[in-house]
Amino acid sequence: MNIEEYISSGILEAYALGSLSSEEMKEVEAMLAKYPEIKAELNSIELAFEDMAMASAQAPKRDLKASILDMIEEEAPVVKPQPQAVPKPEPKVVQMQPSPVWKYAVAASVSLAIVSGYLAFDYRAKWQNSSQAYAQLLANNSQMAEQYNQVNQQLGNLENDLAVLTNPDFRRIDMAGTENAKDSYASVFWNQATQALYLNINSLKELAQDQQYQLWAIVDGVPVDAGVFDWNAEGLIRMKNMSKSAAFAVTIEPRGGSENPSLELMQVIGNV
Amino acid sequence: MVRRLQNRDKSALSYLYDKYNAALYGVASRIIKNDDVTEEVLQDVFIKIWNKIEMYDASKGRFFTWMMNLTRNASIDKLRSKEISRSSKTDSIDDYVYTFDRENSTEMSTDAIGVKTLMDNLVEDQKFILQKIYFEGFTHTEIAEEYGIPLGTVKSRLRSALNHMRKRVA
Repeated sequence: MNIEEYISSGILEAYALGSLSSEEMKEVEAMLAKYPEIKAELNSIELAFEDMAMASAQAPKRDLKASILDMIEEEAPVVKPQPQAVPKPEPKVVQMQPSPVWKYAVAASVSLAIVSGYLAFDYRAKWQNSSQAYAQLLANNSQMAEQYNQVNQQLGNLENDLAVLTNPDFRRIDMAGTENAKDSYASVFWNQATQALYLNINSLKELAQDQQYQLWAIVDGVPVDAGVFDWNAEGLIRMKNMSKSAAFAVTIEPRGGSENPSLELMQVIGNV
Repeated sequence: MVRRLQNRDKSALSYLYDKYNAALYGVASRIIKNDDVTEEVLQDVFIKIWNKIEMYDASKGRFFTWMMNLTRNASIDKLRSKEISRSSKTDSIDDYVYTFDRENSTEMSTDAIGVKTLMDNLVEDQKFILQKIYFEGFTHTEIAEEYGIPLGTVKSRLRSALNHMRKRVA
């Protein structure tokens, strides 16, 4: 393996920009793990990207920080494209010039007028049809764009969920329903090394508007708040980080959560 | 920084915004060329950084590269989803650099070099590859197939283009 040749082939730049096939990416990753020189070159390529981006930085006109911080409280909203205004073409009317000459000419003119009139009428109808079809297409297109954005967003969330589910460092702890709620069922996914904690609702009952579920970790026999979530939250829900816990349980609390759990309202519990 | 984000530390996101918003905005606006849409994308990008932080893998590259590629992909996606209303698809790189410099010359901070300067020394072949890969999100294979350029040439042109630009910022 000639490392210099490998570097100068430009494959590392392509890798850094994510423009390789997944097979090629794996090859590069294997090379990175094996040869520190290659890793160092990739690092300097990436540093160059960063330098270039910094050198050509451009501040947005509005300060978006506050709205971003607000939005991470909620699920990121789906961006809806504005429906586009459809221009209505004015119908064109063909003006006929009278040409009063001889009989034949008159006859010809009359037939021409009739034919033109008919054609004008016919074309106008066709025009209207196609302008309707065009408006329909524009509407379809903006609907497709909207769906595309939604699907893209869902895909992003699923990718993240999948990364958690397929990561062997995450442990799954199932929480079964208590006497209060025998049919309820939920699971947590916990990575003790990074402390990351996710919750998945399998079946929890609907709550009133002013209530939320709250997850608790039992640490040294004491319940510790692990975050609140809504009854209808979808996908894996990111909870607070936990370094240790002997069990996890979910209670019903007033919206925003409580300092101490309402144990009589415990819904599910599972031992680690 | 990554660890703090993984710990759901909002002040880390706030710091990240202060440090990188202009750099990432620049990356996105060079692809999108529309202020409002770029702001929308930038906002989405920071929310994606927050939501997808679990997917960042330090062994595969630097954190900035990850953010930059998130930004590029989000921008290219946005552009593709709005393609029909866009007539400037065939803009040459000079047009777009020109638009960029003209539209933003007032807002650009005085120490910013500007992409045009960075790309000054590039020959047409290199600009073309950079445009297709970096700004339009084509893969190497797509370019090789569509324009009949050998795959190795695509890679090496991209490398020389970036090497030239690196020297300008160094």
